[in-house]
Amino acid sequence: MIKIVLIIISLFTITAIAQTDWVKWGKAEISYEKKDLIRHKDYSYHDISISGLAVKTLANAYWFFVSDLDGDNCPFSPTCSSFLLQSVKETNIVQGTLMFFDRFTRDYNFIERYNRYPRVEDGHYYDPISLYTLNVKKINYIPPSTVVKQ
Amino acid sequence: MNFVTKIQHITFILVIPFFLLWAQDSFKEQFQLAKNFYAKENYFDAITELKRLLFFDNEEKYLFEANDLVGQCYKQGGKFSDAIRYFTLAEINAKYPERIYKEKIEIVRVNILRRTTQSAFRILNSLETDNRFKDKIDDINYWRGWAYIFSDDWENAAATFAKIDSAYQLQKLTEKVNNELYSVGFAKAISYIIPGAGQIYTGEYLSGFISLGWNVLWGYYTVKAFAADRIFDGVMIANFLFLRFYRGNLQNAENFAEEKNLEISNEALRYLQNEYDGLKP
Amino acid sequence: MKFPIYLCVLELFASILLAQEKQIDFNSEKNIKKFADYLFCDKDYLRAAEEYQKLNGYEGNDTIIFKTGLSYLFIGDYSTSIDNFSNISSLSPFYENSKLERMKAQFLMNDYFGMRSFYNNNFPEDDSLSDRANRLFTFSYLITEDRLPQKEKFLLPFNSIEKEKISSFYDWKNDPPYKSSALAGILSAIVPGSGKIYTGDISDGIFSFLVTGVFTFLAYDNFRAGHDTRAWIFTGLAAFFYGGNVYGSIAAAQIYNAKITFEFNKGLNVFLESNNYFVPVYEFCN
Repeated sequence: MIKIVLIIISLFTITAIAQTDWVKWGKAEISYEKKDLIRHKDYSYHDISISGLAVKTLANAYWFFVSDLDGDNCPFSPTCSSFLLQSVKETNIVQGTLMFFDRFTRDYNFIERYNRYPRVEDGHYYDPISLYTLNVKKINYIPPSTVVKQ
Repeated sequence: MNFVTKIQHITFILVIPFFLLWAQDSFKEQFQLAKNFYAKENYFDAITELKRLLFFDNEEKYLFEANDLVGQCYKQGGKFSDAIRYFTLAEINAKYPERIYKEKIEIVRVNILRRTTQSAFRILNSLETDNRFKDKIDDINYWRGWAYIFSDDWENAAATFAKIDSAYQLQKLTEKVNNELYSVGFAKAISYIIPGAGQIYTGEYLSGFISLGWNVLWGYYTVKAFAADRIFDGVMIANFLFLRFYRGNLQNAENFAEEKNLEISNEALRYLQNEYDGLKP
Repeated sequence: MKFPIYLCVLELFASILLAQEKQIDFNSEKNIKKFADYLFCDKDYLRAAEEYQKLNGYEGNDTIIFKTGLSYLFIGDYSTSIDNFSNISSLSPFYENSKLERMKAQFLMNDYFGMRSFYNNNFPEDDSLSDRANRLFTFSYLITEDRLPQKEKFLLPFNSIEKEKISSFYDWKNDPPYKSSALAGILSAIVPGSGKIYTGDISDGIFSFLVTGVFTFLAYDNFRAGHDTRAWIFTGLAAFFYGGNVYGSIAAAQIYNAKITFEFNKGLNVFLESNNYFVPVYEFCN
């Protein structure tokens, strides 16, 4: 009996252990603390253009008075308002707005999202702006059913 | 020849082989080499040397100790599954109950550390019912308490530590955390009755009052629309505005309580990791 | 009674013999090699490679250099692997295989251009492994954006079983079934959402149509009822949703193309892996 267990364990070891050691590793900092998976919004203003400033102020006000209070209604990561901010920053105000309205429309579509978007660790669907800037080189397709680490 | 010289001769003859054996045990040296790497936190090389030792150790003298140390190395590197695998190998090769117990506890500690506490509890329960380890009950409870801490059950942790005389410090700490924690259910329940109340209970006053404001405002418009027989408007306002903020209020009450609890328990966990000087997982 | 010297000598002899069992030189050439071979077969490749490199005779021993190269290849350290393979002398029995493995390493590190020029310079027609190398060489055109050779010529290196699959890969690459982003945009400009239906995002298309439709209707209804301010707000929103829908359809076509390219490349990888990149499998561990 023990022999069988041994054989099973050693079979296991060969593949799994070997792969652990395919790169050199050292001491790991193991924290007792639990990870915080709750989404936190970034209210800060760093690294923002002049057109971005207005949008950011609006977004901050919206976050403070509305979105922090009306619950988690956005199934996506980044959230719709962050999506708007990022797309304006990445492109320009016109293109950013168009991207936002497209996102907003897709936000309504509740059908089989799990078949169409990958997820991030906290369970939201991953829908980054890089897919929508119309720059083909920036599109990094990630199949659904993948979990993206951010 | 007198008696004393005879004794001297015999002693000399007896001592020679031991001396030679002791001086030339390269396995022991090899194990020491690995231990030195371990002490220098060079775990990868320590494992290499232990594997070398195990590979040439035909007499299987180091099967227990070397596997145990490989497990420790992997544990230090945060490679928990590998660690458990080697602790299990050590356990299989353990010759006395004392060693079996040690390895079981090592596995429990790794399971606590990586928060797979269900496995830790299972092993601890089986140790408790094992007759060989009857005298270990305090130790078993000690680790059970830790397992409760890592499964976020501070109440049971406190109760478990209370069973052990020597764990007074941990008992106090876990009791304190348990008393400080907010009740998530209560926060949610009072927010059902008065929107914003749950947020205020957790100390988020501003958020609580704004939430209350929104709920009153849209509640008022909803009632007004229905009172004026504008049913469509009423349904729209209720559905898209009033209920949205009402639901958000419940979610927030829950989130804030959970977040505050996370802060409280993380503070205690930080203390346990950095300041507490008893045995830790 | 004299001191029993003979007894002492006998005992010394015996205990040295005994001690020998406990005495082993872990770092002798023989033992390092033994241990390294064990690690290699245990798939502990990084450790194996490092042990092999400790050996004094390392530089002259082709088997060991070759196995070191393989170890680095398996763990994904391709450039070190290539360094090892290129150190194998042309007289060695591993020379042919090392060239092939080198190509595999270059392929895996996406250095297709380097791989092709290596192939052109190092694989004469009469080389015993040149057909395998040629397959990897030819296959690389399915991955890069370079112009494909003629189909007949392209299929030549492959055997009859492979041909069928390669032929379908070739056809895909030659004329990928991409959706046109311009067409998607135009379709959505005419009927909102239809561009997304064309790219296969049917539910998104329907929602685009509904959202744009609802806001247009609300604008129209409010104009008719004389609520001008509200009507203009809805008109603005409808216009933005319409614009977003055209924009989104263009993006959707691009994403669709990225998706089918991704799936095609995945298919290529599965095929290559199941054929071990046309490299023979060695039996060092049997």
